[in-house]
Amino acid sequence: MSVSFVLAGVLGLLFALGTFLLLRRDVVRVVWGVTIIAQATNVYLVTMGGFAGSVPVLAGHGGHGGGHVAVQDPLVQALVLTAIVIGFGTTAFALVLTYRVYQEHGTIDLEGLAESSERPETGGER
Amino acid sequence: MTTDRQPTVIARTVTRVVVPFILLTALALLFQGHNLPGGGFIAGVLTCTAFALVYIIYGRESLRTLLGIAADGPGVLGGITGLYARLFAVGLLVAATGGVVSMALGYPFLTQAVLYLSDLPVVHALTAVPGVGTLELASAFVFDLGVYAVVVGGLLSVLSVVGRE
Amino acid sequence: MQPESALLLAALTLPFLGAALVPVVYRLLGERTAYYAAAVAGATLLLLAGEYGAAVAAEPATSGVTYQWIPALDISFTLYLDGLSLLLGFLASGVGVLVFVYSGGYMHGESGQAKYYATMLAFMGSMVGVALAADLVALFVFWELTSVTSFVLIGHYQRTDAGRYAARKSMLITVSGGLFMLVGFLVLAAASGQADGLSRTLTLVGTPNSLVANAEAVRAALKSSGLFVPAIVLVALGAVTKSAQVPFHIWLPNAMEAPTPVSAFLHSATMVKAGVYLVGRMRPLFLSETAVPAWMLVVATIGLVSMAITAILAIGATDIKELLAYSTASHLGLIIAGYGLANEYGVETGAFHVLNHAVFKAALFMVAGIIAHEAGTRYIPDLGGLRRDLPITAGITAVAALGMAGVPPFNGFYSKELLFEATYYVASHEGGLFWLYPAIAVFGSVFTFLYSIKFLSLFFGSKPDGLDAHRPPLAMLLPPLTLAGIASVIGLNGVLGTFDVQLPVIGEFLTAVIDASATEPLEHGFEYHVPTTLSPYFLMSLLTIALGVVSYPFYDRLHHTVRRLRALPPVSPNWYYDTAVSGVNGLSRSVARTVHDRRFRRYAFTVVTAVCLLTLGGYAAAGVTLPTFDGVAVTIPVALVLVTAVLGAIAVTRAPSHIAGVLTLSILGFMVAIFFVLSDAPDLALTQLVIETLLLVIFLLVLDKLPTWYGEVRRSRLVTDTLLSGVVGVTVFLTVLLTTAASPSESIAGRFVELAPVPADHGLWILEHGGGNNIVNVILVDFRAFDTLGEISVIAMAALSVLTLIGMRGHGRGDEGGESA
Repeated sequence: MSVSFVLAGVLGLLFALGTFLLLRRDVVRVVWGVTIIAQATNVYLVTMGGFAGSVPVLAGHGGHGGGHVAVQDPLVQALVLTAIVIGFGTTAFALVLTYRVYQEHGTIDLEGLAESSERPETGGER
Repeated sequence: MTTDRQPTVIARTVTRVVVPFILLTALALLFQGHNLPGGGFIAGVLTCTAFALVYIIYGRESLRTLLGIAADGPGVLGGITGLYARLFAVGLLVAATGGVVSMALGYPFLTQAVLYLSDLPVVHALTAVPGVGTLELASAFVFDLGVYAVVVGGLLSVLSVVGRE
Repeated sequence: MQPESALLLAALTLPFLGAALVPVVYRLLGERTAYYAAAVAGATLLLLAGEYGAAVAAEPATSGVTYQWIPALDISFTLYLDGLSLLLGFLASGVGVLVFVYSGGYMHGESGQAKYYATMLAFMGSMVGVALAADLVALFVFWELTSVTSFVLIGHYQRTDAGRYAARKSMLITVSGGLFMLVGFLVLAAASGQADGLSRTLTLVGTPNSLVANAEAVRAALKSSGLFVPAIVLVALGAVTKSAQVPFHIWLPNAMEAPTPVSAFLHSATMVKAGVYLVGRMRPLFLSETAVPAWMLVVATIGLVSMAITAILAIGATDIKELLAYSTASHLGLIIAGYGLANEYGVETGAFHVLNHAVFKAALFMVAGIIAHEAGTRYIPDLGGLRRDLPITAGITAVAALGMAGVPPFNGFYSKELLFEATYYVASHEGGLFWLYPAIAVFGSVFTFLYSIKFLSLFFGSKPDGLDAHRPPLAMLLPPLTLAGIASVIGLNGVLGTFDVQLPVIGEFLTAVIDASATEPLEHGFEYHVPTTLSPYFLMSLLTIALGVVSYPFYDRLHHTVRRLRALPPVSPNWYYDTAVSGVNGLSRSVARTVHDRRFRRYAFTVVTAVCLLTLGGYAAAGVTLPTFDGVAVTIPVALVLVTAVLGAIAVTRAPSHIAGVLTLSILGFMVAIFFVLSDAPDLALTQLVIETLLLVIFLLVLDKLPTWYGEVRRSRLVTDTLLSGVVGVTVFLTVLLTTAASPSESIAGRFVELAPVPADHGLWILEHGGGNNIVNVILVDFRAFDTLGEISVIAMAALSVLTLIGMRGHGRGDEGGESA
């Protein structure tokens, strides 16, 4: 299998940018970071399958399957397919969590949240 | 999204035309998923976009009347959200039940089988009709239906809960 | 001869069933649940007694009853009943009956009785399980069950600090010992795989392919791999912690926090006997034919040293239950020493003393409970002259305490005499340092004599002022009376033995118990009698008593010396235990404080840094080499799409507002979709496109409600964050390069591609094949449907969480308001 330095570089950059966002104070940016990392992971998994084959849908419509054809690795595609949908579910969950945090604490600044939760009388996460 | 501005007539007309097509496409993807690109996941998310479109252009109320649901109850599970929540619960049940059935028949959990109808003489005659092709019944399709229900129910409950806020 | 398997199973499950029913029964019967529990124990006792004939005739190679459990791992559920396991089963159920009756009086008016009886019954069941289980895994499970139930029982008074401390201490020590034992078991199982004429087995005894039935081959395999002594030490660690041997004896005195019936049951007759039982059970497996076997060096030494040290510590006790606790550890040492010694008198000591000790010590604990209950104190200096108020109890104590002291003709004398005989034989055969064995045995026994007489003296002498004892209820008097009766019968049999008369059953039963642990069955049945000639070991007995009588006047001085010595930190194992536990506690607290500082950034930073360092470290350690650069290897469209994606991501990080960020984030998403198109993944592309749209919708919906705060970036932070991001980037870059270069040429996907479509020749039903041409979908719904089920559960979970977050809002507000008010 040919090694793609370009893909490796792009994935490295995407992960680096995602990590950078993950470390921000703004919760929304953290969610973006997670999303970027998730997207990059999907790309990485598809990359693992290689680019040599064709679409993993066999010729013929429900008929007797043809011979052995070189197709893209269908396993990684199946993995990524569910990962995309789950990624959406978790992103939505993270956003709703952010929204609830804002409702409870009036801020989406993680630093501010940490400080307010150090004072027990203000409630904080329990 | 606050509805301080009404969407334009063009948007509303287009939505009215496009939504049935989206739903139809989604169903087609669901049914052909075993042999062509498609399947429960894709059909599910596509169905969600149709609903989301109606919701954005016409608002929440119209979607409710469209589906013929009573007004929102007091709890979070009242009204339309409850319907979605029940949908993904049922979907999970359908998918798991298929697995239990295979266990009851003595196969490992979630073993799927295909009933190849085309070989039956009656059906074989039918396949000669152009455009019909072969006929098979896959138990995996039941599972795929479960997946579809979970995806539609799950994503729509999220959207509708967030939208209600 | 095989026992009736159904009866064994019934004896094993009955206590657990009984425990499960306790809550219902307690509602109906209230405090009389004690007698229900006693009835359950009695039924178990009868079931076991019904197998007496089979147990006496048990054969290690054939008498096991095997059920399938996990055949793939060679784990079976084997039950085996011989003399030794029958004895332990009798102790668990028989003493159980007495203890439950006693509890009916003792626990009167106490709280938490339903919990108490349920746990006691569950404990009894676990103990019967330990006795019957002949498979190492099953044995381990029941073994740890006794630890867990004992934890609950010791911590019965869970509101007191002392109760919690004691429960935790016993749990930590016995369970960690049990883990060592488990490792020892695995070593044994591994060795059995290499032994001649034996396939890998975890069955200890009872089948032709069991460890004990092939002891010689297993020993040879262990020795050839150099694991013989480690295996002995590992298994012994389990026994030694359970049976409270030095230096792990420290949990037993604390365990006296438990209600007295628990002490009488767990800490004299049963749980601590589990360790002893294990030693007895393993003895034929580990004891080799050599002159000085490793088994003897390890086990007998531990036993004798523990026996002496804990006997001395008992002198330092001020509480009658504390005295009995140390004494228990000491007598367990005696039993273990007996099993450790490599001659037939050794086995006889161990087997006989298991019975004797259980009988007199359970009686003494019950006496201690009567004293505490009726006189209101357990403090030794405050007690004395109880004979007048508690005459029957005094009689019981006399029989039991003199048995404990080893005074002829009481029951403890015979087994102690056997120990002297066994040590004497070893010493006279091996000479040299082995003379220490009899010396230590006599030395420890002197202290045993001293504290036994001290306990007895509580009933004699003058009564301190203000001490007033009431008569105990019949329920508390009858059980110790029964035990004292049994002890007397054992003693009487010895006296009769002098005149060549033997009571029935006793000799036969003890022979069976002894044979279970002996390397060769006894030639003649086991008999015992009061010695009539002045043998060396009888002289040792007399010497012990004489020394005890001579030094008894100095008891108080000894008592204070022991207390002073044991308070010195370096010699007190308690000090090590407390220091270690508080040290570990402090360490975990400080780690938690540093790592969990409530700042998300810190969490992310720690996790990401650790992952990167581990990955990079792994690469460095493995000495990987990078593949050589051989061209761009991507087509121009792909390259364009990827570059656009990166530009989108950069724009996201620099976005001036939330809305701008979300919109640029979609650029990335759509570029990924196009990438999927270009890499021949139509399903992915479709899904990605639709999801990207939905994601945009939900982002906009939520952002509408959030403030437009986007925070300034501190310059110092910027440097560290950029640095970490760089490290992540490099790690990912290397990982992608290495993994894509190292992918196996034969991928598992090939099998899926073959199996997905309808095969060329097939019947009406197709099971093996997926019957679909879209391989991705077939994988999702057929081959890996279980995975997909998990994945849709995640989606359902996410939706449920969102529903809960929004829907349950307001719940719990009430007490939040109450807290701030």
